[in-house]
Amino acid sequence: MATYRLNRDSDLIDNPSPRCACMLVLDTSASMFGEPMRELNAGVQAFIAAVQEDDMAACSVELGVITAGGQVTEQLPFTTAMNISQCRHFTATGMTPLGEAMELALDRLEARTAAYRQAGVAYYQPWLVVISDGVPTDAWERVAARSRALAQQRKTVVIPVGVEEADLEALSAFSSRPAKRLDGLKFREFFQWLSASMSRVSASASTTEQVRLPPTDSWDSI
Amino acid sequence: MRGKIVTDSLGQARQLGQCLARGGEGEIYALRGRADVIVKWYYPEVLDKRGAALHRKVEAMRELRDTHTTRDVCWPLIRVFDHEQRWIGFAMYRARGVKMGCLAHSLLYARHFPDLDRRQIVGYLLRFIEIVQQLHGDGICIGDYNLNNVFCVPGSDSVTLIDCDSYQLRVGGTFYPCPVGSPDMTPKEHQGKAFRDIVRTPRSEAFSLAIVLFKCLMLGRHPYDIVGGGDPVRNLRRGHFAYGRGQRGVPQGDWYALWQALPEAIQEHFVTTFTEGADQPARRTTLAQWQAALSAYGERLDRGECPRELAGAGRTPAGRTRHVR
Repeated sequence: MATYRLNRDSDLIDNPSPRCACMLVLDTSASMFGEPMRELNAGVQAFIAAVQEDDMAACSVELGVITAGGQVTEQLPFTTAMNISQCRHFTATGMTPLGEAMELALDRLEARTAAYRQAGVAYYQPWLVVISDGVPTDAWERVAARSRALAQQRKTVVIPVGVEEADLEALSAFSSRPAKRLDGLKFREFFQWLSASMSRVSASASTTEQVRLPPTDSWDSI
Repeated sequence: MRGKIVTDSLGQARQLGQCLARGGEGEIYALRGRADVIVKWYYPEVLDKRGAALHRKVEAMRELRDTHTTRDVCWPLIRVFDHEQRWIGFAMYRARGVKMGCLAHSLLYARHFPDLDRRQIVGYLLRFIEIVQQLHGDGICIGDYNLNNVFCVPGSDSVTLIDCDSYQLRVGGTFYPCPVGSPDMTPKEHQGKAFRDIVRTPRSEAFSLAIVLFKCLMLGRHPYDIVGGGDPVRNLRRGHFAYGRGQRGVPQGDWYALWQALPEAIQEHFVTTFTEGADQPARRTTLAQWQAALSAYGERLDRGECPRELAGAGRTPAGRTRHVR
């Protein structure tokens, strides 16, 4: 579980770095049980460690985690990477309420960017990463349209990633870019790429321009 | 593990060490056996697309080098080729120190610059301005101002600029634009245009430089960060500077205390540059004026007439604030 400083919002006051909000929506349904869950957990932990290693990224990246496994759980409310002391390991259980999880993720992103504006904190386009090995088991079409619209308007970078037998078509509906399929269980490689991307974004002086991201060939497959 | 092999223009093979950085255009490698030299290797797709133009520009830069540019700026010095004798980049001296981005940060400076005070910041800035003036004297503009491309050696006033293959220059009648930049550091008259089509001027440089100065003296705050306002670029285009007359929208926290610690003359230069100067390039403080104003500030700091310490109200020297509300 994450631990916070006494007054979490003081971070928006003390820390002058432009922020890059990065929300992870993770499918932790029963089908992820075993090896996939272990690899996903290891990937997330390595991601946090890698972001914390880069001073600029540690001050810029705000990580949030929501899981969809049986129920939707906000595992980590948006927290600047430098202030994350640990993130709990997730367990695989139940169905995949991905629609509800994405709805919550978009609401949280909206509230966070409003808080940035209120505090006079500049921000990069927020990132929303959704990882699933199946199909959403709840209603998801409406929230997919909402998510896709934000991606098309370049208000959010939405990265859908399918694992094993995932329904790439459904995942692709959440973004303006097609979902990528993870090669095997290369979660660590994916999160390595994500942390390199976060470093690239937080090193750029520009909060309004697109940043050239590292290639994805270490983790994606056709 | 064996490193990649490159050759110089005489065909002599050299082994690269570890990859030190990956940027937008290429990778930076250490050179085995020469700790003071690094190699920039452009990405293959960049070479495919713009390799010939890059090569021409880097060659032009090599012609321009003089003692100033090689000492204070990591200037391209030696051509580098791959094993098939294709040009892939250049070798340069390695900058010592820490990115200015870590100095201009209220939560990071204490870790990288122990005992940093205002006198030292002013020292780095004066040195930085001096180097930019030398470049301007040679008809070179930086264009892409980025605090991560300025290295400062803690405990000294040594400053070195890196990533200079993007600079704008004119050599033998040929104009080489600075094709990169970032809107947050770019003056209004150059916003919304492709960077490669922009001709940078001393006035446009003065605007971007003022943002660097502000960010250092204000420990990372961007001059156009405004509470409840738009993004910094929108505020920049409108000339909405929170610390200007009326002081509206200054971010909460110790930022205003930092601003108040600056001498009035420095404040005036910022206010004019970031309000009227946003629209009227001629109103911007010039490099020579900054040099004079900061030198005077440095002397006042030396005489103890202004506070040297960065710790403001409620701020511990470690740069951490404890808000008890």
